[in-house]
Amino acid sequence: MKTKLKRIVALMTVLAMSVLLLAGCGGGAEGEEAQSTGNTSGITVFNSKMEIQEQLLDMAEKYEKKTGVHVEVYYSSDTVSAHMATRYAANNPYTLSMVDAKDIYALAEEHAIPLEDEEWVKDTDYEISIGDHVYGFPVCVEARGIIYNADAIKKVTGEDFDPEKYKTLTEWKGLIEELKKGGMEAPTGVMKEDWSLGAHYLAQIYEEQENPDSFLMDLSKNKVKLMKNEKFNSLMDTFDVLKDNNYAKASAISAEREISEKKLAEGEIAFMFGGNWDWSQINQFDYTENMGMMPVPQDTDDGSNDKLVGGGSKYFFIDNSANTSDEQRQQAKDFLNWLVYEDDGQSFLVNDCALVPAFSNIDLPISDPLGASVSKYTNEGKLVPNYNYLPDDHFAILGAMFQKYLAGISDRKGFAKDVETYWHTKTLTSHSE
Amino acid sequence: MERNTMAYKSKQFLMFAGPALILFCMVIIIPFLYGLFLTFTSWDGVSAEKPFVGFANYVSAFKDAYFWSAIGRTLIYSAFAVVFVNVVAFLLAYMVTSGVKGQNFFRAGFFIPNLIGGIVLGYVWKFVFNRAFVAIGEAISGGTTPSLLSTTGGAMFCLILVSVWQYAGYMMLIYVAGFMSVSDSLKEAAMIDGCTPSQAMRNVTIPLMRTSFTTCIFLSITRCFVVYDVNLSLTKGEPFFSSVMAAMHVYNKAFTYKDYGTGQAEALILFIVCAIVGITQVYVSKKGEVEA
Repeated sequence: MKTKLKRIVALMTVLAMSVLLLAGCGGGAEGEEAQSTGNTSGITVFNSKMEIQEQLLDMAEKYEKKTGVHVEVYYSSDTVSAHMATRYAANNPYTLSMVDAKDIYALAEEHAIPLEDEEWVKDTDYEISIGDHVYGFPVCVEARGIIYNADAIKKVTGEDFDPEKYKTLTEWKGLIEELKKGGMEAPTGVMKEDWSLGAHYLAQIYEEQENPDSFLMDLSKNKVKLMKNEKFNSLMDTFDVLKDNNYAKASAISAEREISEKKLAEGEIAFMFGGNWDWSQINQFDYTENMGMMPVPQDTDDGSNDKLVGGGSKYFFIDNSANTSDEQRQQAKDFLNWLVYEDDGQSFLVNDCALVPAFSNIDLPISDPLGASVSKYTNEGKLVPNYNYLPDDHFAILGAMFQKYLAGISDRKGFAKDVETYWHTKTLTSHSE
Repeated sequence: MERNTMAYKSKQFLMFAGPALILFCMVIIIPFLYGLFLTFTSWDGVSAEKPFVGFANYVSAFKDAYFWSAIGRTLIYSAFAVVFVNVVAFLLAYMVTSGVKGQNFFRAGFFIPNLIGGIVLGYVWKFVFNRAFVAIGEAISGGTTPSLLSTTGGAMFCLILVSVWQYAGYMMLIYVAGFMSVSDSLKEAAMIDGCTPSQAMRNVTIPLMRTSFTTCIFLSITRCFVVYDVNLSLTKGEPFFSSVMAAMHVYNKAFTYKDYGTGQAEALILFIVCAIVGITQVYVSKKGEVEA
């Protein structure tokens, strides 16, 4: 009898514990849900620009003090699309998410609210629309080109560097030879990262075609021979100069980005292909203010050697799901307006985050030299637009093929063939706007 | 109380295994089945719709040349890593049970790499390969030495080396337990019967600790097949995809290239390959085990 009682007590305990355990799990999930649906005041913001995370956190505090709206800022080092996927799979989206242009095209129709009635739409050229609706709020303008260190050049040549004088490859090559004679052994740096090579340099070859969309369409249908394409050859000629004068030529594909940026900041090298986002790296070192960005030099007369390549970068969209209340959506809209129209919002974008604003009504001077160059080219309308529809595996696969070229494992013919082979596997739909 | 009724048996089972069973179902079985379902859809990872596409994902998985070369690479990597991990671990275990001075200190020392997370370890070794070795190489040769990590064979070599360094200490502990489980009297008896120490090792100790070998080889095979963290932080698949292991390819396919269905199908294929190799290994080694 006694043993039976003992056994029953034991059984009850185990049952109770396992029920508790389950309740614990279930309760956690419920609690979380209550938080995301029940918490109607205050917004969550997802940030995907690592370099402005600190500033955003500071701003959130000040913003709450001023407006009473609680702003919760999150950051993830995951790929943006992968992080969005987990949040949507967990049914716990952010009120306001900062994503890349391609993510807007992938997500917005299903998950974002239309914003065409907002005031800021008239003050920008960089919003993203799909069909009749505006979904993406441009956070900033970013552009690519050659970053130069004018001090380093002046030190060798004795003259002030004027990028306007070196638009053609011939002239620029001449300068590089001069620098080499003057004692700068290797005047250039090349970032080996697949995104730099694949998503930026290679993409420029498409973007500078007359019509990138139909060019890629023809490429995928095997109607284009890259070796006979003027743009491909012209940009690859310039790349060859970068590659041949690379300080890390012997081990080009193990060059670390930090080291290249440091050398550029400190004037050990004079040129590197990159974009104004590189400033957040350069300013970690002993940099000079006399830096800037210039178009990639090319022997061409189509005007592309007068322009940087770029446009809007990073876009906010507002969640449309039931997890976000209408009040939160309004608060998110107010926040976007604050960025564009309030003095402290503008100052936050331009001074605190050192971004180039995508709105024509913001006329604060840009603090960093690379941003200043971008802003100058933007205002003059000298920007070749980004092509935002490249397939998701493009940068990784062709980036790796480009690395092979950089390492000297394949030649231009081989690289052209790699690019063509990649595109032949793709079936494209047209995006002509 | 009747002890062989179904009710009694299932009550006993639930009492002891119930909580674990429920947890196992929640975190392994259900996600696995859900994953299986996703292989039949063309879901992109975010959309609310999951269009059913039948076996299309398996077809594209079988056509994905990058996937199969990643599997091939994983097989090569696993073969080398498993052999070296176990050889090194066995030798270390032999050394730290042979009664050398400070053997406990050595045991702890060799085990420590296993306590460092794979990501951190990858970054540490990346620094060693890219900076330290290069600096030493340049000091010796006088010229520029490219980093091992930037050559296609070198990156694989580095991966294997780091894996051996990481896992050998862990496996060593299992071998140590194996060595200790063999009673001294048996070894002494063998020696009295005229065995040399190496004969005693080969014919008495090793056969008696076969369970350790089974466990260690199984653990190292399954770990090597799904290696990801070291792969990510040490080589990131570079240069030119020459060090992309199967797990990394699957992750990229699903999340970076946003081809979720195909990635999931490839993950399932990887699981099946891994399960077949693992089960075969256990079956074969179990057959040869002896009871003391």
